[in-house]
Parts: sequence; structure tokens; C-alpha cells
Amino acid sequence: MNWQGILEFARGPLFYAALLIFVGGMMYRLVSVIGLGWGKDRVPVKGSKAGGVVKSFLKGILIWPFIPWVKGTFSRNPLIYIGGGLFHLGLFVVLLLGAPHVLVWKSLLGFGWPTLPLPIVDWLAAAGIAAMLLLLINRLAHPVLRLISGPAEYFAWLLVFLPMVTGYMMTHHLWFPYEELFSLHMLSVDALLIWIPLSRISHFMFYFFARAIHGQEFGKRGVAV
Amino acid sequence: MSDNNVHQLDDQRVSRRDFLKLSGLLAAAMGLTAIPPVEASGLPAELGRSYQPNDEIIHALETAQRAPVIWLEFQDCAGCSEAITRSVSPSLVNLVLNTLTIEYHETLSAAAGFQVEEAKKQAMEKYAGKYVLVVEGSIPTGMDGAYCTVGGRTALDLLKEAAAGAAAIIATGNCAAFGGLPKAAPNPTGAKGVWEIITDKPVVNIPGCPAIPEATAGTIAHFVVFGALPELDELHRPKTFYGKTVHDRCQRRGFYEAGKFALSFDDEGAKKGWCLYKLGCKGPTTYNACATIKWDQGLSYPIQSGHPCLGCSEPNFWDGGGFYQGQSAPLVDRPIGTAVVSAAVVGAAAGAVVAMSNAAKKKSKGEKK
Amino acid sequence: MSATAQAIQTFVHETGGWVASQLEACTRCGMCAEACHFYQATGNPEYAPVWKMELLRRAYEQRFTLFGGIKASLGLDKRITDEDISHWSELNYYACTVCNKCSMVCPMGIDIGSLLHEMRAGLAAADMVPADLAAAVTKQVNEGSPLGMTDKVWDQRLEWVADEWEVDIPRDVKGAHTLVVFSSIEVMKFPTNIAAIAKVLNKAGVSWTVSSKAREIVNFGFYEGSEEHTKLFLSRVLEGAKELGVKRIVVTECGHAYDALRWHAANLLPEANSFDIIHITGVLGELVGSGAIKLKPGAFDNDGTITFHDACKIQRKGGHVQEPRDILKILAPNSFKEMTPNREESICCGGGGGVIAIKAADEQRYAAFELKIKQVNSVGAKTVTMTCSNCRLQYTDSVEHFKLDWKVTGLAQMVADALVE
Repeated sequence: MNWQGILEFARGPLFYAALLIFVGGMMYRLVSVIGLGWGKDRVPVKGSKAGGVVKSFLKGILIWPFIPWVKGTFSRNPLIYIGGGLFHLGLFVVLLLGAPHVLVWKSLLGFGWPTLPLPIVDWLAAAGIAAMLLLLINRLAHPVLRLISGPAEYFAWLLVFLPMVTGYMMTHHLWFPYEELFSLHMLSVDALLIWIPLSRISHFMFYFFARAIHGQEFGKRGVAV
Repeated sequence: MSDNNVHQLDDQRVSRRDFLKLSGLLAAAMGLTAIPPVEASGLPAELGRSYQPNDEIIHALETAQRAPVIWLEFQDCAGCSEAITRSVSPSLVNLVLNTLTIEYHETLSAAAGFQVEEAKKQAMEKYAGKYVLVVEGSIPTGMDGAYCTVGGRTALDLLKEAAAGAAAIIATGNCAAFGGLPKAAPNPTGAKGVWEIITDKPVVNIPGCPAIPEATAGTIAHFVVFGALPELDELHRPKTFYGKTVHDRCQRRGFYEAGKFALSFDDEGAKKGWCLYKLGCKGPTTYNACATIKWDQGLSYPIQSGHPCLGCSEPNFWDGGGFYQGQSAPLVDRPIGTAVVSAAVVGAAAGAVVAMSNAAKKKSKGEKK
Repeated sequence: MSATAQAIQTFVHETGGWVASQLEACTRCGMCAEACHFYQATGNPEYAPVWKMELLRRAYEQRFTLFGGIKASLGLDKRITDEDISHWSELNYYACTVCNKCSMVCPMGIDIGSLLHEMRAGLAAADMVPADLAAAVTKQVNEGSPLGMTDKVWDQRLEWVADEWEVDIPRDVKGAHTLVVFSSIEVMKFPTNIAAIAKVLNKAGVSWTVSSKAREIVNFGFYEGSEEHTKLFLSRVLEGAKELGVKRIVVTECGHAYDALRWHAANLLPEANSFDIIHITGVLGELVGSGAIKLKPGAFDNDGTITFHDACKIQRKGGHVQEPRDILKILAPNSFKEMTPNREESICCGGGGGVIAIKAADEQRYAAFELKIKQVNSVGAKTVTMTCSNCRLQYTDSVEHFKLDWKVTGLAQMVADALVE
């Protein structure tokens, strides 16, 4: 199998196409949803809508991941909390603070930024992978999750998991030659990029709308977010 | 000149002691760690551990015939030849090329013109089926090969003619192996590597820009000594020299692991010898022996001297994104800004169309809110 | 058009950018279930809020998105059937009080409560409302109140309350500053509340009146989810207020009515913005805070531990979180103990959202109340007070059902009883 050739293709023309599909697809999703119309809210405000929005974002990013006893939900389902939190943390650290990816950003954007040492990134990557497995088990075992999950959810899980695990194998040169792992990593990344606009993985974009709405609704009523 | 290696060594007044030392050198260079007969028989390797590979070499040298080497150059810079001739005797390279073999080499031959061509033709006829063909430089296929001619004949032609009677074909340097610099986009001459043209015989690739002299010499020696080619990877490179990446044996690896990177060529990190990954080092994807054998008889190699690895033993390294672009970066046309914006605009337009049609769906039949 | 088609069309109609962007944000993490008291109490996975709004999601995805449409035609996503409408009607009306606690735990911040309200709109359009609730709505349409409080009954009750408790209840006073609209739950089931509120307002010298036209603050159309009925019942209140020329409307101890009038009316009937709208809890807080009325400190300190139940629509969705605590700090500084969780995180009583009106939902309702029993017992409270008479109804009924020995009261009642004359 000509892994060199596959690698060149996967990180060249295929990546290019996947990236454009990703950008175009996300814009399509954004406009097609927001374009459905937005009613005007004539209800007088008791607290502060803007304040609510700010607090909602702060809580969503800074506090929620770190204070598990918020809203008393941790004790009832610690797995989702720990799993979800670790997964996102690992993902962000690897994608935004890991040296190999920062070089990718640098090549695409024209600028880079400082990175974390490999051992830290590596541990968080491993934690992220472990978290993904935990989340899969939870999705298969929890009665509510079993009810609401369908093929789309499991497929999305797989497409997110593959880049993580191939990336980890790459870093550690595990079991296969480097260019094979690199090819698999790029192929799985390309598949993921294409799949994001077609699936719920695009939630990260709608997150901002939902959080803003949440902040507005609670801020409007003067209730702590 | 004798046809037998040992007699040749006698002629050159190489003592038995030096001969043994040189055999050891050869053995090390070929990466002989096991005994081919034992391996081939399938018996466990431990059985042969006490066996000295050295003896194998000595035995072979004492019994094998001297092998002729025909060295052809096509679209090349002669860098690989230059690298080999920079070696000073007594050395492996000297041993291999001057002692073990007779050669026809265009650049190095003192003679020129028709006489040399005649000598080559005679050598090819006399040793038909037995000579080692070493190729340096890529072969242009555009304009029916007219981009490179020697003595009025195209490189393509010359290659096919020489390959027909060769016992083994060794493509030395990235150009002969994978097309090298001439093949870089847009590849105006239609340059190709040897193995893309000669498909009916095994071609060993010794890529590098230039190839490490010991790698070329060691491979030639292997064939001369054992009459067989060494174990090759999927890109036909000898695993002895190309089995590990530069990254795997790099002396700066510890800095990579610790996340200590030089960010420019004369910053603090660079002065302290930190990892050159962020300056575009292609070490992780480059298979070569640079970090172990090094250059100029183990003097240094690019990373040791402070420059990131170019990936010069890998196919298409000239189109690999640029020497100073990160090894992990995608290989896309730059700048990608326009393409991305266009994609976004197309997506948004499609989204607007869908949104409008959906909004109409909401309003049709049913109370207005 | 078939009932199902009506429902779907309503779902589609309701889905603008506000709804759609939230439906798109859901990652199927299942956290909302952990906050839903019906799921907690019964363990039935179908009570997960995300599942309760499944039909809304299906309608949206299958009709508005390309991929959703493809999936449906390939059979990878189920289409909405009559059985679904009927089944989801049960899930939404029996096992949801629209308490909105799910919105607080959603990591994406999706306002699930509002989306569930849209579900009800669709179910109502399909006439898939539980019989008891539908009957109550019809009653309110025809008689002005789901509890049979016709204007004659209203008249009689008020006369009786004024007489029995010797309070002055100004009626249909043109030009009064404040219109107070009681709930029929108070008028019919907790008449002392009427007397209590009247006493407090009179003591504070508030210029107030009640209106026979705007006599019912309860809005069963809001429970039902029908916009038409919601608007009808709201307009009665607003017209009554307009006729009397008041500046302010006070919603007495009722939860959903406050939600409907204060936080939704303006988007349905623009004239709602001609009035200040406030809940009686807010008024009490203002009056106590400004010193317009004085309370006997520690008036309720010698009757065992007292705890406060936060009403979903008045505290979590209304914002009147601090006023009850300020008042209770005066009335029972030593014996007031908070339940856990409390304030905006409190657990719903289980009777709101129309659930208590539906006999068939008794099983779910009592199961949910068991969570409250645990809460109240763990602080060792003997008395529970609250600001919503629907909660009070649920507590009273459940105390009898479970044979508990608690005292159930209301904040306005306590304020009136501790009033310094």
C-alpha cells in the first residue's frame, strides 16, 4: 500500500476539499437556521439581558466545567460531567496548544502562538481518549441516553474518536510506521471535517446562540443564571 | 588489476590486519547483525550469535569475483557523486569503489567522449548480467526524453539499455529514486525516478539530497559481497539505513519531548540547541540515517548544525510545503483565504435560499403570529 | 387536516430562528433528565426533557433541514404519527410542569422549558389535550374560570370574605392605582388569602381595586399551550384593567399566571405594556422594605422549623427570590431553614403546569412530591410556606394523601397575620 501517496493526498487535495466543505457547510447551517426569522421581544426587562448573557457565557466556559456540584447534577451523573469535561479539555489543549497543531494553524492563518510541553498535552490527550470511551459506555448503558441516541450519535462519536486515537498513536509511533499513522490521522480528520456540518457535532456553533438566549431569558427575569 | 577481491587487496598492499578491519567496517556498514544462512533457514537467531559477521565478509571477499559497477548520471547535480568522493581513504567508500569494483563513471572518468562510451559498451557486454548499475539523477520523459541527452541519446534510452543487462540497479539520490528537484511542481521535464521506468527488475532506492555516501557504498557492497540485495522497505529503500526516522534518532529529541523549541535561527533556544520542529523540521516523517551515520564521516548533519531537516530522502520533498513550514501542516495551495471566503459565501447563499423556502413553509396555511 | 398534521404544522409554525438554533445546539448529552423531578422520581427515561420535545425536533429536522429530510425518507428517522401525538401528549401533560429546571443544567444553555411549551402548542392544535384539562379550559372560556367561578359566584365569595374577615375589598373602583387580580384557587380554596392580601394592602394605604371583568388571573390556556386561549384569558384581565384606568396590575399568589401576564403577554397583546405588572410577593417585599407596613419580628418563631418552597414561576422564572427570604428573616429568624436545593435551583412541587388538574396524572404527581417530602423532612420542618396557591393546593392534597403532619401556609397569609396594626 502506497502510504506515502495516501498521505500526500490526505493532507493535500483531500484536506483542501474537506476544509472548504467544512467552511461552506457551517455557513450554510448558520444562515439556514438564523434565517428562519427572529421575533421581537416586547416584554419589559426586570434585570439585565446583557448581564445575563455575559454571565451565561462565563459560567458556561469558566465555571460549569470546574464546579461539578452546580445545580446538583454531578452526583446524579458524574460520568457525563467528568467525561464531557475531560474530553473537551483534552481536545482544546491538543488542538490549540499542542505543537503539531499550532504549526497547522500557523500555516493556515499566517501566525502561531506558544505551546505547552509535550508531556502535558500528551496526558490530556490520553485523558480525552479515556473520556471518550467512558462517554460511549455511558451512552450505551444509561436508559435515557439509550432512548435518545441513534445511529447518528454513534457515528459522530466514531468520527471524533478516530482522529484522537490516530493522533495519539502517531505521537508515540505505536505499532505502525509513522506515515501510515499520519495518513490514517489525516483521513480521519478529513472525514470529520466533512461530517461536522452534516451532524450534531456542529453544536459548537449553535452553542453561542443557545447560551445567549439562556442568558437573556434569565437575565430578563433577574434570576441568577 | 585482478578479478578477485583479495588479490586486488594484495596488489594494493593492504595488510591482512587492515583487511580484517575493513571487513568489520563493511559488516557494520551493511548492518549485518545476523547470519543470512541461519536466518534463511528459519533457525532461531541466538544460534548464530556467537558467529562473527566479519567472517562472513572475509569468506565472501575471498571467494567472490570483483563486480563491475556502471555509474550513469542523468538530470542531476552530481551531488551524490561529490559526496562520495569527499570521503578520504582508507575508508569504506574507498574500499568499495576502488578496491572491490571497476566502474564506469561519467563525471569521474578521466577520459571523455567516444572512448568512454566505447569503454562503457564493452564493460556492459563483457559483464552482461553481472554488473551493478548505479543511477544518479532523474530521467525526463517529456518531449520523448529530449530534455537530457548524452552522446546524442536520451537518458530514457540509455537507462533502458543499461538496465537490460544489469544484475542489480541502485538509484542513488532523491532524483534517481523519486524524481528529486526536477520533479518539483510544475515538473516541466516530466522527470521520473528509475523505478517508475524500470519495472521488470528490482531497483534499490538510496534517496537523500545527496544520498549519504555510506548508504550508497554499503548497499553496493552488500550486493558485491553477497550477490543479493539487502532487505528493502515499501519504497525500496534498504531498511538498514532507512528503517528509522531522523526524529527517532535525533540528538535533540529530548527537547522535542520537553517542548523546548527554537523559534528563530539565532534566538536563545537555537543557541542552546533546542528542537527545530517549529522551524519546519521534517524529521518525524523522514526516513534516513543522518542522525546516526551523519555526514563527512560522522562529522555532523543538518540538525546538529542547527538547520531543520528538509526531508530530502522522502518522495516529493520539494513540494512538501516548504522547508520552514511545520511538518504537520497540510499541503494546500496558499494563500487559502480566497478559497475559504468563497466557500463561506456559497454556503451562506445556499443557506439563505433554504431559510427563505422554510420561512415560506411556516407562513403558508396557518395563522400569522 | 388530520390532528397530527395540525400538530406538525403548529410545530413548524412555531419554529423560527429562536427555536431552531436551540434544537440544533442539543448534543444528546442527557443532562436535562438529571434535573427533571419526574424522571428522578420515577426513573422513566421517557420523562427526559429532551425526549419530551422529540416531536418538535422531528418536525423541524424533517421539514427544514436537507439532511433531516433525507434521513426520514431513508427510514433513519421516524415520522410523526397519530400514536406519537397521543403518546407525547401523555408525556408532556402528565409528566411535565414546565418548571424549567432542565434549562439550568443544560450545558448548552438551551431553554428547554420554552421548547416544551411549543410542544404543548402543537398538541393543543391537534386537540390532544387530556380530557380534564380540556374541560377546564372550556369552562374558563364559557364561565370565566376553570373552577366554576362565574361572576355570580365571584360576587358571593367576595361578599362572604369581606364579611367573615372584616376586610374592605374595593370593587371596580375607577381610577384606582392598582388592580389586584386573584386566582380562583384562592377565591374557592384558600379564601383567607383574599382577606390577608386585602388587609395588607389596606394597611399600607395602597390605592387598589378588584375588577369583576378581570376577576380570574389563572390562565388554563397557558397550561394547555393554545395561543388562542391564552390570549383570550389575558385579554379579559387587560380589558378590565383598561376599563378601570389602573396603572399597575398585581398578580396574587399564583405562579403560571404571573409567567403568562408578566413575561409573555406583551408579545401577544401589545396593550400589556400599558401597565406595570408585578407579583404580590414583589409588592410585599416593597412594602416591608420601605416600612409601609411593619411586621412583628419572630412572629412565627415558636412553632417548630419553618421552611420555604420556591415556586417555579415566581422564583426561578419570576425573579422574586430574595423578597420571601427577607420577610422570613423578620418573621422567623430562628426557625426558618432553607431546603436544599433552593432559590432558582429548587425542585418543583409537581402540581404545576396543569398536572394537578389531570386526574390521570395523579401517579406521576405524587411520585414527584416524594422528592419534596425528602427535602422537607431533612430540614425537619413542621411548616412549609410558599408564594403560589397552586403549589399550596398540591402540598395540601399531598399532605392528605401521604398522611403527613405538616402545616401548609402562604407568605401573604403570614405577613397579614404578623402585621403590626
